[in-house]
Amino acid sequence: MTFNDRIFGVLMIVLAVAYGWGATQFPEPFGGAEAVGPDTFPKLLAVVLIISSLYMIVRPDPDHAWPWSRTGIELIIAVVVLILYAMLLQPLGFIISTTLAVGTLCWRMGSRPANAYITGAVSGVVVYFLFSFALDLALPLGLLSFLEVN
Amino acid sequence: METLGYLMDGFGVALQPHNLMFALLGAFLGTLIGALPGLGPANGVAILIPLAFSLGLAPETALIMLTSVYAGAMYGGRISSILLNIPGDEPAMMTCLDGYPMAQKGKAAEALAISAIASFIGSLVATVGLILLAPLLAKFALTFGPAEYFALFLLAFATLGGITGKNPIKTVVAACIGLMIATVGIDNTGVQRYTFGVLELFEGVDFIIAIVGLFAISELMFFIEERAGGGKEKMKVNKLTLTWREIREILPSSLRGGVLGFIAGVLPGAGASLGSFIGYTLEKKVVGKKGYFGKGDPRGVAGPEAGNNGASSGALVPMLTLGVPGSGTTAVLLALLISLNITPGPLMFTQNADIVWGVIAALLIGNFLLLILNIPLVGIFVKLLSVPPMFLLPIVTMIAFVGIYSISNTTFDLYFMVAFGVGGYILRKLEIPLVPVILGLLLGPEMEKNLRHAMDISDGDWMILWDSGLAIGLWVFAGLGLILPYIIGPLLRRRMQNPIEEGTPGSD
Repeated sequence: MTFNDRIFGVLMIVLAVAYGWGATQFPEPFGGAEAVGPDTFPKLLAVVLIISSLYMIVRPDPDHAWPWSRTGIELIIAVVVLILYAMLLQPLGFIISTTLAVGTLCWRMGSRPANAYITGAVSGVVVYFLFSFALDLALPLGLLSFLEVN
Repeated sequence: METLGYLMDGFGVALQPHNLMFALLGAFLGTLIGALPGLGPANGVAILIPLAFSLGLAPETALIMLTSVYAGAMYGGRISSILLNIPGDEPAMMTCLDGYPMAQKGKAAEALAISAIASFIGSLVATVGLILLAPLLAKFALTFGPAEYFALFLLAFATLGGITGKNPIKTVVAACIGLMIATVGIDNTGVQRYTFGVLELFEGVDFIIAIVGLFAISELMFFIEERAGGGKEKMKVNKLTLTWREIREILPSSLRGGVLGFIAGVLPGAGASLGSFIGYTLEKKVVGKKGYFGKGDPRGVAGPEAGNNGASSGALVPMLTLGVPGSGTTAVLLALLISLNITPGPLMFTQNADIVWGVIAALLIGNFLLLILNIPLVGIFVKLLSVPPMFLLPIVTMIAFVGIYSISNTTFDLYFMVAFGVGGYILRKLEIPLVPVILGLLLGPEMEKNLRHAMDISDGDWMILWDSGLAIGLWVFAGLGLILPYIIGPLLRRRMQNPIEEGTPGSD
């Protein structure tokens, strides 16, 4: 089956056309047009990408299977965990969010839950102290800010 | 001897106590990065860049530390090749051929020590080559005009896949994607391009975020997909009994490997994998019937290992003198230079002489440190090798988060990093290489600037791009870089596969 490269090639052509069209919409730079304006290089790129994508569509490589079913779900879980980690880093604080994120990732990758969350907590605490004391960098404490010593 | 004077100054910089300390730290971390599963050299260096920033290190210190990491990672890659028959990175593939049989015969410690010594000699030879060649090339590069630079960048992209690369057109696609991302932001005429009014995009996409996302996050996803969290069996290493005679025996192999590796590293499109491959095949030819290659011949460990390390030092030559990296890891080092506001290229040798020579001196010192570190401490590295990835990769991901967060203290960058990671995963699934994307991000602004300069000089005449003999030569080589893989690529790949299949009895 050779769908992947073809679909990707089509997507890239769509991208290249949109990108090239975007370049034609740039306002003229202050001081008048030059030989090479802000739009020249993007247009060049769009053309090259269209040509190389066409080649991908005509001569695609064999596909690698995408992970559907359970593995695919695991992957989605991992990405969701990472997004939640970014979202909760400031409100929950570094130590708690790290415990949860690293713990969940370890657990989903095959560790026993208890070990996983202990690993998360230990790594979070160690990195927090390393950063705030040895490296003098402030990571957010969040919910644990009542522990802060001044 | 002007060079010698500069080198002495360089040693003056590199031997300052705090620089020496960071070199040692870098060498240690680098070996770890090389040895640990799922942490290639490019990935490891990328994660450490934001940390080097947040430490507020001086430019030369940051560079010295990360160069040591780079050198160390090349040492570390061999450990899992020898003990587990799993190359830690691609160039370490050839080390498996004789290293693993040696370990099976109960000579793991010897194999590790020999490879450390060979790595040391290979790097030493190549660093001397770098010291001799780099200033000459830098002087030559001063004659380049904008048109030549534009062609040189094209050459860099065209040869990035290497002549053993599979599908050069995918390199072109990847380079386009990288260059397109690089055009986001306010350009130097003050026009906003592709910012969609988002404030965070006005200054363009920070390539550090992109690099860490593409490498670290996509690696995590690959491990999850392959369910490779379980880790590897524990390995025992016997007590080291290495005699002087055995060391003397591998010296010629190491020297030959180092020279070959250096040449392969300097040349565009060759790279460390080819360096170690040539190193191995040459050894087989030179030693001939007397050898027992594929069955645990020490020379079969020394040759490719010296070649691999020689190539990694050689790869620094185009990066330092022309500002054009030839491999993923040197691209990441280039990212570091650009973010330190050092413009790489020939002028660096005059404007930032202390930094360049400090780094070169650090490379020499780093090699001695690595040799000293590697022989007695190999036990620790072997132990760390058995840390299961299911604990390791989440922690590495967390460190990547911390590093990116500490650059600007905003969560926006973190979302961006995750997005790049998912994108990187998809690209890798389609066998589209990530390094050209990164190179495109890094070189995009320079490339466009040179195009504009060339056009300003010629008053809009595109012919200027191939007006000089030098420029034409670069275009021809760039063309060859894209065409050759189709012609001789399959042949070379088959020859690189063959010795592996013959050479690893009982590997399945």
